[in-house]
Order: sequence, then C-alpha cells, then structure tokens
Amino acid sequence: MAAPVSIAHTHVHSLRVASGAEALVARVLDAGGMAGFGFTLNLDAGVARDMAAWDALGRARGVPLHGLLGGSYRKTVKLVRDGVPAIPADWTALRKDILDGRHELLRIDPFAWGSVEMVQTIAAVAAAFDLCIALLAPNAHPWEIQYCAALAATLRGEDTRIIVRTDAAKEVNVSELPGIGIDWSLEPSFKKIQWRN
Amino acid sequence: MVHAGSMYVIQKTERTVVELTLENGVTGLGETWGTPDVYSLAQRFAKELPGKDALNRFALRDFLGKSTYDNRFGRNGLATLAGLDLAAWDATARSLKMPLAELIGARKRESIDVVSTLPAAILTKAGTRKDLTDHLDVPANTRLVVEFALEQVRKSGFRSFKLKSAAYSPEWDWKLLNELREAMPKARIRFDPNANYGVATATELCRRLDPLGLEFFEDPTGELEGIARLKAAVKTPVATNMWVVKDEHLVPAIRRKAVDVVLGDLFMWGGIDAWRRMARTAHAFGLKPALHSVYETGIATVANLHIASALPEVEYPNDSGLHFLSADVLAEPQQVKDGSMRLPPGPGLGVTLDRNKLEKVTLETTQIGGRQP
Repeated sequence: MAAPVSIAHTHVHSLRVASGAEALVARVLDAGGMAGFGFTLNLDAGVARDMAAWDALGRARGVPLHGLLGGSYRKTVKLVRDGVPAIPADWTALRKDILDGRHELLRIDPFAWGSVEMVQTIAAVAAAFDLCIALLAPNAHPWEIQYCAALAATLRGEDTRIIVRTDAAKEVNVSELPGIGIDWSLEPSFKKIQWRN
Repeated sequence: MVHAGSMYVIQKTERTVVELTLENGVTGLGETWGTPDVYSLAQRFAKELPGKDALNRFALRDFLGKSTYDNRFGRNGLATLAGLDLAAWDATARSLKMPLAELIGARKRESIDVVSTLPAAILTKAGTRKDLTDHLDVPANTRLVVEFALEQVRKSGFRSFKLKSAAYSPEWDWKLLNELREAMPKARIRFDPNANYGVATATELCRRLDPLGLEFFEDPTGELEGIARLKAAVKTPVATNMWVVKDEHLVPAIRRKAVDVVLGDLFMWGGIDAWRRMARTAHAFGLKPALHSVYETGIATVANLHIASALPEVEYPNDSGLHFLSADVLAEPQQVKDGSMRLPPGPGLGVTLDRNKLEKVTLETTQIGGRQP
C-alpha cells in the first residue's frame, strides 16, 4: 500500500545534518500541489519517497498519518534504550521465525523494511500472533523518533515501543499535525534545500 | 421459484442499516445483519458513539471493548461492531473527500468480478423437506440449476459461480458440477456444501471433483482438523467461511495448513480493519483472502467492492447476492455487467440512500442522539 496519492513531482536531496551524518530528504508534490517530505539516514531513497507521499496525503487531507491508517492506539510512545539487534529485513526469515515462536517482541527498523505498507503488514502479522513491535530509530535522530512515533500510534499491543541505542527521554508524543508529524525545523539545513519547482 | 441450499431456504433477507452523522454534518452509511439480536445490539453500541472521534476507528473498536462485542455476544457482537465500523469508515472517507478504497489502502481496481450463487436445487414452489428430497432424488432435475446458471450468464455475463450444495447426495453434486463444467467450460465455479458432509464422504467426493478444475471447495467438511485432512488429499484449493472467521482462528489455520483461501465475511470479522489485518496476515503466510457475502443491500455490496479494490491481496471474485434481491435501498442501482460490478465514483462508499426505497422496506427505525437526518 503505497500512499494513495497522485504524485506530480518527486525529488530527493542529500543533506548534511547537524551530527555530521548524511541524510536523504525527499519531497513529493501531489497533483494538487501539496508538498510532503520524507527522509532517511540509511541512504535508501525509496523509504524517504514513501514517507513523503504519506506526508503529502496527510497534509492535503489535514489529518495525521494515523487518521489515514485507521486510528491511534496511543498518544505517547515508550522510548527505550535497547542494544538488541533489530530483526534483519528478510520477510521470509521473519515469517519462519514467527511460526517457530522465536520472537516475543519484533524489533523492526522501519527504515530498513522500506515502507509504511511493510510496517503495516508486519503489524497485522504481529497482532495475529499476539506479538508486540519495537520500532528502532537507528541513529536516535529526532526525525527518526518522530516518524517511529507516527507509526507506533497505529500499532496494537501494550508493549509497543521505540528503541534507541543511546540514553533518551522515557516517552515521545505522537504528533497530531497533518502528515507524518515531523518537525523539519529541528535541522536548520533543511530550510536551505533548493527544491526544483 | 424457490432456491434451496444446505443451510436454509431463503425467501427474504433482513439487514440493519446504519447512518452515522458526524458533527460536521457528513453522514456515513453502514450495514450489518438484521437479526433482532444484532439490531438490538446496534442500538446499544451506538449509544456509546456520540462524542467519539470517527477519525480514530481503532479507538471505536477498543472503546466498545472485546469483552463486550466478542466474548459476551459472540458473532452478533462482532457483526454489530462491523456495521458501526463501516459507517465510521464511510463518514471519515467522505469527510476527507477520499473514496473508501483509498482510505483502506488504494483504489487499485475500478471493477470487481462478482460471484453468482447457484442454489442446490430449484423448486417451483415452497414445500416440505420431503418435497425437497423427492426433488433431489430425481437426477434429471439438475438441469434446472444448469439452466439457471446459463440464465445468469446471459443476463449479467457472470463468469464466477458458487454452487450451494444441499449435501443431500454426493451423486447429485457430482453430476451437477460436471454438467455445470460442461455447460460453462471457462467459468470459475466454487462448491459450497457448508460442511454438511463428513470428512470421508467429502474427501471422496472432492477427489472425484478434482479433474473439473473448480475454483475451490468451500467448507467441504468441518471442522478445522477435518478440512485440513481433506485439503491434504485433494488438488483443488480449499476455502473456508466457517472455521476461520475471527482473529483467533487465523494462526491455528496457518500453522495447521488447513486451508488455501480465507473467505472472510466483513461482518463476521468485525469490520474493515479486522478484515484488512486478516488479509495481510493470511497473504503473508501464503493463504489467499477473499470476500464472502450473503444477501446484503447495496451498502455492504459496495463496501466489499472497495475492500477488494483497495487490497492487492484479494484476487478472487467477490461473493454477492444483491442481484437476487427484489429491492435495494440505494439511489444508484448497483448492477452486474459482464460479470463484474464497478466502484461508484465519489468519496466514501460513493452511494446515497434512497429514502423512499428505504422506507418501503423498513421494519423499524431507531435514532440515537443528534437530529433526524
């Protein structure tokens, strides 16, 4: 399920964030001219474009991501420091492991799994098998945490959480802003991007 | 003409129609079973909805509570929830000016193939059980069902059929299905005796039917263990709408490799998100989700079209019984042409109630909160 939005234009820009890391930032313009943005620090432009399309749709309709996906189970999400490796983005292996009962908590890096759709599919499977999901913000970047929070709002399971590799606050709020709810001003270099058209 | 199946002789259908009006004035439509129990529960559950956020359909489900809609009231609770849930999804989609299919996932298809039910037997008038069995004792009477199927092809271009077996005689079913296959070599034909054959009889019959290349055997026997054993013995896919009908049934069916197709009914599963989760999970483990339906008005029929359009996991044609009903409640006639139905344009379900039509078939109305629509 890519975002059901008619895309008129898309562009991906490389950005140096304050930490010195490189991010890809995508902008999608829908047919009505509404812009949506997405990003990734793992340099997979597809993730950023997918995110941007959902952002454009949410902004165009004036609703947060969870409103588009069906609703929200929570207003805040637990943020937990956790060093356990995330489950590799290998769907075949994950399904086998789930059937074999090898997981109680699915540690998923949404940036590695590639799309909102994939996370929703994993969430459906997790719900069926009564498993909870932990979403990894791999670099603990505030944008990553905000995006994970937007996704986590839609996930069933009382132990749903965001995991980071460093010390962090105990919880994060789910944004009610239209789109994916990321505060782009957190990175000053974002404003300086010269988007075509 | 009277159509007989394994579970009942249907001469009418009763449904509960839901209108849910938001504070912004947008009204969403829902529908569910029309039994007195479900109608009563719909009134009870609906009283809890005013003031809630329709954008948060998950919360509506959680608010009503699993112990309320599932454990305590069983299927009726889930069906009630589904009717209210559908109205909330429709109202939300209309408010966002999105087709319901887009809100569910995407509007990937504009027309959806639908299935015409074929009765086990066609009687000229209602009669006793003995009249039915006397009819089924005459092998030549299978031709009436074949003629009925061909009439559906001529009238509406149906390419997909479901034979509702009476499970009275494997020989009747074998003969009839062979005749249907001969009369319609390219048609998709599903066979549904509603689990009224025992495992041994069903397995023997289904093995004999394998060469016909039917679309699937729907509930040829029961229960989950029996259907799993049958599936292991036949080549034709096996579907169920009886043994995998709620969240808790899905994982055991996946582990047991009990079925190939989960023929999920929106009202048994308890609403759009529950159905969508089932479809994604089933598909993830190699099962195919498909949409079951009995005799619903245009509201639920169109809802099923949107679900099928939205979810790429759905590949099989939708069940549909709307074309058998003598009346509907929608202003826009929902017709089957060339064996398929088109998604209506516009936001939400894309349909409107025809109040005159609704009034003619209404048995009872209850308003909860707010103003009269």
